[in-house]
Parts: sequence; C-alpha cells; structure tokens
Amino acid sequence: MKLTVNHLAKQFTLHNRDGITVTGFSDVSFTVADGELLALTGPSGTGKSSILKAIYRTYLSSSGTIHLHRKDGSIVDLTTCCENSILELRKKEIGFVTQFLKILPRITALQSVASPLIERGEYEKNARETASQLLDSLNIREELFHLSPLTFSGGEQQRINIARGVIAPRDLLLLDEPTASLDEDSSNRVLDLLLELKEKGIAMIGIFHDKRKTERVADKVYTINREI
Amino acid sequence: MIKRVFAFIDEDAKKEIRRNLLKAVAIPGYIVPFSSREMPVARGWGTGGLQISLSLLQEDDCIKVTDQGCDGSVNAVNIRDFITSVSGVKATVNTRDATIIQTRHRIPEHPLTEDQILVFQVPYPEVLTMVEPDMAKQKQIHADSDYSKLWVLLYEDTSQYGDSRISNRYPVEINSHYMMDPSPIPKYDIARLNNSPALQLFGAGREKRLYAIPPYTRVTPLKFNDRPFIVEDFKGKSCKRCGAEGIFLDEIHTTGSVHYFCSDTEFCDNKLKEAKDAIER
Amino acid sequence: MLLNVKELTKVYGQFCADCLLLTGVEQNTTICPRCKSVIAINRVNFSLKGNEVLGIVGESGSGKSTLLQLIYQDIKANSGQIIYNGLSTTQDTGFDLLDCTTTERSFLRNIEMSMIYQSPTLGLNYLFSAGGNVAEKIIGSGERRYKVIRERVIRLLKRLELPDSRVDDYPDAFSGGQQQRIQIAKALSSSPKLLLLDEPTTGLDLSVQAKLLDLIRELQQEMSFAMIVVSHDLGVINHLTDVTMVMKHGSLVEYGLTDQILEDPQHPYTQLLVSSIL
Repeated sequence: MKLTVNHLAKQFTLHNRDGITVTGFSDVSFTVADGELLALTGPSGTGKSSILKAIYRTYLSSSGTIHLHRKDGSIVDLTTCCENSILELRKKEIGFVTQFLKILPRITALQSVASPLIERGEYEKNARETASQLLDSLNIREELFHLSPLTFSGGEQQRINIARGVIAPRDLLLLDEPTASLDEDSSNRVLDLLLELKEKGIAMIGIFHDKRKTERVADKVYTINREI
Repeated sequence: MIKRVFAFIDEDAKKEIRRNLLKAVAIPGYIVPFSSREMPVARGWGTGGLQISLSLLQEDDCIKVTDQGCDGSVNAVNIRDFITSVSGVKATVNTRDATIIQTRHRIPEHPLTEDQILVFQVPYPEVLTMVEPDMAKQKQIHADSDYSKLWVLLYEDTSQYGDSRISNRYPVEINSHYMMDPSPIPKYDIARLNNSPALQLFGAGREKRLYAIPPYTRVTPLKFNDRPFIVEDFKGKSCKRCGAEGIFLDEIHTTGSVHYFCSDTEFCDNKLKEAKDAIER
Repeated sequence: MLLNVKELTKVYGQFCADCLLLTGVEQNTTICPRCKSVIAINRVNFSLKGNEVLGIVGESGSGKSTLLQLIYQDIKANSGQIIYNGLSTTQDTGFDLLDCTTTERSFLRNIEMSMIYQSPTLGLNYLFSAGGNVAEKIIGSGERRYKVIRERVIRLLKRLELPDSRVDDYPDAFSGGQQQRIQIAKALSSSPKLLLLDEPTTGLDLSVQAKLLDLIRELQQEMSFAMIVVSHDLGVINHLTDVTMVMKHGSLVEYGLTDQILEDPQHPYTQLLVSSIL
C-alpha cells in the first residue's frame, strides 16, 4: 500500500462570515497501492480537488488520517506531521500536477521542466536533453522551449505543468484534471505517459472529467456523492 | 612665600596623568582619556606630550625635545627651555644621553634603549575618525577589534590608486588588537615602532587623550597579506651635508634643483663630528 | 534546526507581571492596560531549518520587523531564547544569541547571518564605494588578501547583474533597485547561513521588484542559505517562502505551509488578511 486515507473530512470555518461552516468533503476512505491509479469521480462541488489538496497539505484536514507508506517502511500521517516533513516529502515523494500553471514566470519552458531533474542532482545538460524529449513527446513545438510559459496557450501551459510533474516522478503523484484543456491527441499522449508511470510503480490519484479517459487509465474509481 | 612645585604641574595632577599612563601601558594601544590641564602653551602645540614629559620627570632625568627631527626649531627650543626652567633638569640634543625624549612627528634615527622613554605629541588620537565619526561607535569598534571600515579605506585606495594614499598617521595594529594612530610620523618610522626597547607614550593635549606602546610590543601597519608595505624611498640619495644613506631624508627644493638632508639634525651633526674626529685621529 | 526561537519577548516600558497576559491577539492590543508598556513581541516560538525559507506577514506594528531585529541583535530581547545552531563548535547545545557578547555579536553578524533592510541607506555605507561596501563584509569575515577580496567583490556584483565597470562608484550614483542589489551582494559576500530580509522590495517599481525577487530565489537555491522574509505583501511571501508565520499585536497568530496559509487560513485574522488581497 502506498497511501491509506481513513475517514477524512474537511470543514471550512468562515470566521469573517459569522463563523459559518462549509463542508468540503466528509468520511472519505480509500487506499492506493504502488503502480496503481485511483480516479476520483463525482459531480462538481463534491470536494474532489479538496481531497487532493488535503493530501498535499495545502488544506488542513478537520478529521481522519492520511497515512503515507514510505519506501523505508515508515508511515507518516500527512494530516498531522510537521511542516518541515511535508516540505521534505513534497521535494522527494509527493508530486502535484494542478490544472493551473504554478511555475515561476520569467523562466523558459525548458528550464522550468528541467529544474526538478537538476534539483535531484542531474547534470544540467542531461536534464535539458530529457526535458526537451519529454516536451517533444507532449507535442510542444521546439520554438516554444526558450519562451516563458506565461505567453503560452492554456493547453500548452497545462502540458508544461504535466511535464514538470512527471519528469522526475515522485512515488505519489496527485493529478487535478491533467487533461482538462487538451485536445484529443495531446490528451492521449498524456494518458500514455501516465500508463508509463504506472509501470514504473508510481502511485497516482487523479481527477479526470471524462469517463472514457478514466476507464483508460484508472485501476479503481472512488466516487464521491454529495451528502445531504 | 610661594613654594614652586617641581616640573610645573602639581603633584595631584601628575598622579592622575601617571595613573592614566599606567592604564595605557597595561592596555597597549587603548586610548585613555585624561583631564589635560591648562599649560602655558596653546593647546595643539604639544601640550599632550608636554604634560606626559613633566609628569614623568625626576631631578636626575635628561630631556631632549625635537620637532620633526630638528632640535633647533622654535617649538622644540621653547618647550625644552620651559621644561628645564620649571624643573631644573639637564637638557640635551644628544639622543644617546636623553632619558626622556619628547618628539613631534619623527622617531630619532639613533636606536633607543630600554632606559629611554619616547613621548609623542599627537594632534588626532583617534584612528577611526576618518571612517566613523560617531564616538560611541568608535568605542564599540575598538572593543570588538572589528576594523573592517579601516580596511575598506585601504581596499578602496588600493583598487583606485594601486596602494594606500596615507602618507603619515598610518594606522598600526598594536599587539594584535587595537588599531592606533601613531601620530603623523612618516611611513619610514612605522616599522621602527615595532618591538622597540624604549617605552613609547602618546599624548594629545587638545583632545585630552593618551595612549602607549610598551617596550617590545608587536606593531604592524594596516596592510593586506598579499601586498607589501611601501615606505618612503630614498634609494640612491644621500644627505648633502653628512653623506648619510638609508635614513629618512628631507627634500629641499631650490630653484632648479633638489637637495636632500638628514631629517634628524642630531644624527647629521653626530655623523659630521665622527667624521671630523676620525680625520683628527 | 538552524534556529530555535523560544518564548521570545520584547517590551518597551516597565514590563509588569501582567503585561504578557493582558496583551496579544485575543486582547486585541499591544499596550498593557496596567503599566502602559508596549509589548512588541509576546512569547513568540518558532524554528527554522538549514535551507528553509520562512515568511512573516502581518500589518504594520505587528512586530514582524522587531522580530528580525531581535534575531539580528540590532535590539536586545527582554526574555526568551534565540538558539543558533549554525556554529560547528556548538552543534550539540546551540548558542543562545541573548547571551552573546558584543564580540560574538559582531562575529555572528559578519559571518553567520546577514540582514537586508528595506532601505539601502540602512544597509549601505554611502561613504564607501559599491565595491567597498561589499568588501567591508568580506574583510569582516576575516579575509586579508586584496586579490581575493577584489575578485570576490567583482564576482558578486556581476552575479547581481551590476556592470563591473561600476565597482568603484559610490552607492548614491546608482538607482534604487541597483542600490538594493549592492546591499544583497554585500549581505551574501560572507556566505551567510541565515539571511534576514526586511521588506526587501517594498518601494521598488514592479518590474524591478519581480526581477529582484527572482534573483533572491535563484541565489537561495544556488547557495542554499536559510531566509526569513518579512513582508506585508502576500505576493512576495507566496513567491519566496515555504513556510509562513502570521503575526498580530506582537503574537504569533498562525504558522503553516505558505500555500496552506494562503488557501486554507484557519485564524480569523489570517482569513481577513488573505481575503484582502487585491
């Protein structure tokens, strides 16, 4: 097992709106194994993205546990472990591909994609080589490599994001609608990439807005229904 | 009838100066404030040195006063006459015979001994004024021995002019702690402060400060490890009067020509006398 | 941990027995109602790892700059501890900055940590050239070889994108953004383990600010020093930091990962602060 989520719940308390509470999600339990892709499905507003954020600790969970089984055999609870451990895990073990561009402006696409490899200790030249191959396989035109992704189209930005997320794959990868704004061809290439990662033993949790895509890559599906 | 005190200054004042001198000797290079009494000489005309000399003077002492190497200059003569008239001690121009030597801006050429005290007249005692005008901060810098600001001055001179532009009052480090203003002696004399057998005392009357270098103390000029300390160069030049070489010379410009003479007149006279004696013998 | 701050307190005034209890976030004041002392920092605790970047946010008067000055020993704290573990000789026990002598203080400031002030006039000596300012810190860290100093000065100023032809110009001949770069070059010249930044880009125009922030980030990754960044600009905090501390009335309100603070703030004050982003 890679990740065990147990009775996880999230409530937002809005102190400046008379302290009302809004439920993000509640009683979420699932497991993901190495090399397994779990798809989160359900209507919008049921807190699919919030669950990913809770795992990544961008959100603080209200109750429940998220146990990450690390390579060295130890188990950490992502809901309670200290900020430093989270930072450490984010660097090496948990990756997040969002639907929005979250990279530094003013840095070229190639540099941006290569940097996770360089941070991992790869030679700059090799890292750039790998990065350009990856971008190529994602249908990014070579003339864009040396431009800032800020000027790219939505679909291109998305692919830069994915490339960054998968170039130096972490053991656990969180994918928030990675194919949302991609055309059919690019979308298929991304899914191929995910299948490759699965073979490498990477555990993944993804949100895909399309049922067909879900069926193509997911090993299991966790469906969230709005509780009333 | 009024009894005149020995050496002009009353005993209590002398005691105060001596106590401060002891402190200065105990903390080499550290600036000690003192009361600096009124002297019958205007402040800024050697009153610091004069007060040190008078407070140290005993009946069997022999005083020499020199001004930029010259015992015959008006200031030197007046101070010497004043000291002898208020104390009755012997005076001399001979460096070898003197027990206390009061000097302005030079160290006598003749090597000093353990039995001698060299008293410098100091116009500006604080070495840091050019980089840090705030006196409280100056004290902190001395306490921490953190003289990076002085070093920056040296760095800037070196990068813009190739070497330090300081010609006199060259900052020196005393006993690996305090940076000190050695008074406006030339760079030639800086090396001669180091490991001197004589006690060296510094007095600034106008600024009311005194400090000291005890005998056999390490004195090093401010300089980078990879840069030489360059002193005034008199290579190939000699005194026109006595022919001496390898000492500090004064450059005299007359119309159309330049002449060099010993800066230390006593040294020059002695050299001439020795030469004359040798001929007579 | 590089730095452990425990129960740090700074009071201006009498400091009566009830000061700490009667002030803070809950009491909504920094002024002790009993003795009228100002509690600038009220029992603050946090720790910082070797290459971590910590942000401190809060409104004016919340004590964020005071906290930096306490760490940098610009001012002395009343009580608490600032344990510094960067010295190799004191690895086991740590070194409490509150107990340090002035000599140790200047050693710490010359070698171990550097401060970048909001205004370059505070961090630079305008009587020295740009290069001289950088050299001062290198010399302070013990270097006495001119050639080494000069080369390092030129290399650093170049790294901060200042032309080497201007090394010997004086700071007032540079633009505001350039002066800030000189200050950063000076701060980094001793390869410090901890860099403190007090509103480093406030007052610079937006394009200069962005470039400078990128550069600081790059340098941090390159030289991997720890940073504490004080800013009231959440954009700057988001751009630079991993972890963020929110302060109000001298007290620590909330501490968490920067993205968590910005996206899922817990405390009413933090929620208000985050919702005020333009």
